[in-house]
Amino acid sequence: MRARYGSSPLHLLAHLAALALAAWALLQALQLGGWERIVLWLAGAVVLHDLVLWPAYTTLDRLARRGRPAGWANYVRVPAGISLVLLLAYFPVICAKGERTYARVSGASWDGYAARWLLVSAALFLVAGALYLARSRSGSSS
Amino acid sequence: MRPPPGPFRPGFWRSPLRGPWMTAVLGSILLVLVGIVALTGFLSHAAYQPDLGRNALVDPDLPFTTFFDWPTGPSWLYALTQGLHVNAGLVAIPVLLAKLWSVIPRLFQWPPVRSAAEGIERAAIALLVASTGFLFATGVANMQYWYVFRFDFVKAHYYAAVVFVAALAVHLVVKVPVALRAYRSRGVLAPLRAGLAETRPEPDGDTVAAAPDPPTVSRRGLLAAVGAGSAALLVANAGQSVGGPLRSVAFLAPRREGGFPVNKTAAGANITDAMAGAGYRLVLRGGREELALTLDDLRALPQATHTLTLGCVEGWSTRQTWTGVPLAELARRAGVGDPGELVVGSLQPAGVLRQATLARGQVADSRSLLALQVSGADLSLDHGYPARIIVPGLPGVHNTKWVGALEFRA
Repeated sequence: MRARYGSSPLHLLAHLAALALAAWALLQALQLGGWERIVLWLAGAVVLHDLVLWPAYTTLDRLARRGRPAGWANYVRVPAGISLVLLLAYFPVICAKGERTYARVSGASWDGYAARWLLVSAALFLVAGALYLARSRSGSSS
Repeated sequence: MRPPPGPFRPGFWRSPLRGPWMTAVLGSILLVLVGIVALTGFLSHAAYQPDLGRNALVDPDLPFTTFFDWPTGPSWLYALTQGLHVNAGLVAIPVLLAKLWSVIPRLFQWPPVRSAAEGIERAAIALLVASTGFLFATGVANMQYWYVFRFDFVKAHYYAAVVFVAALAVHLVVKVPVALRAYRSRGVLAPLRAGLAETRPEPDGDTVAAAPDPPTVSRRGLLAAVGAGSAALLVANAGQSVGGPLRSVAFLAPRREGGFPVNKTAAGANITDAMAGAGYRLVLRGGREELALTLDDLRALPQATHTLTLGCVEGWSTRQTWTGVPLAELARRAGVGDPGELVVGSLQPAGVLRQATLARGQVADSRSLLALQVSGADLSLDHGYPARIIVPGLPGVHNTKWVGALEFRA
């Protein structure tokens, strides 16, 4: 049995229990209004990460490093990575996607999110530049 | 059978940092963070007390019942749990991306399935990744008022969380031994001592590159970069969860406005001046006869003042000083000596939150008020004038505004 299944019976039982609970939750979700969109978002999350986000940042990183000395990659990709992860997590405020809803419910308005994101990104690149300068100075003097 | 070209070939993978130890460290950090997020998420579900009245937002007949009463102290309890939910979720995003990066060669393994066990395992992994991505994407969009998904957020987020917990539990059953093996053979922290010059690929493991590039960053450098990303996401938001002057530090938080933020305006809830004007009556039910009190009647009753935190499900909070009539006092006026649950009705004509049911302990707490004032001045119409509920530790939206009726159950 073990040879044919590929693992222990406990492995099988744990998976059957988990899949049964997950199937119950998915069946409940399928009864909700807009269930097609729920399925789309579940599948979309995997596709967007595995086939868009990961290839994009890997390719970008490889192109940026190609033919350049290993020393300086981190000074560019760390601030760029932080800036992009801020954009990823705060896309709705930075691009004012929820602004109309926000104004309707709160009576207030959104201001300057894109500007603050850009300014923080600028600061991150400046700090990285200063660190690079400091390190290359101390490296050349020693 | 020869694998197709590209990522299906072992030579495609070049990072010298990928390996079981790296994945174990990222997975351990991620487990702590998503553990906090999942726990506080289900606590939020419990805080809405779905077993009372029409409180249930997911399904009144869920097979999982809440087995404890949501406490009324400390008053910042819900602000804390929901602040943790949202902020730990944001902090987890860079860790999640790094964790997925560390194991992505397995997505392209060839052949895709070598045994029945591996097939069922990969099905569970697919559910884990799908539900994780779904929960983060919908959570992040919802806290920023971008309802682009066009399905019921609360219900879908809840059921996706059940899928996530099931898939994570079985993932832990399979992978905790693998992580422990990596920690035992390489040391829990020892690989962090290696600087860039001493960074070598891990000796074995199916995500270790067959032909690795020279390293461009050490393992501790990678963790530091991930940590810096997490810190940036936290600083960008956390101020709205703490409230006060820190709110303006939160440079990308959706709730940066100073003072006392309005969750929903009177106009948004279709409350008119006439409804809250001279004709306003608070109907008290539960005693032998129904009472209708004017605002002046309410002002003539004994008042109490308490400083209490209001925490929103979206992860922001505000601490204010409230003055009003204790709910226990109103129960006595209604003629209910030992009040049980309290059904609170709003004047707002529609919406799932026009009615909320409070538990016995919440009605009995001396700090639970029908507030008429905040910071010594009458409530503004947007904050629930003439009268609103404030109960310590209660989720923000259950502190009903524009209260028109209180029905005390014995």
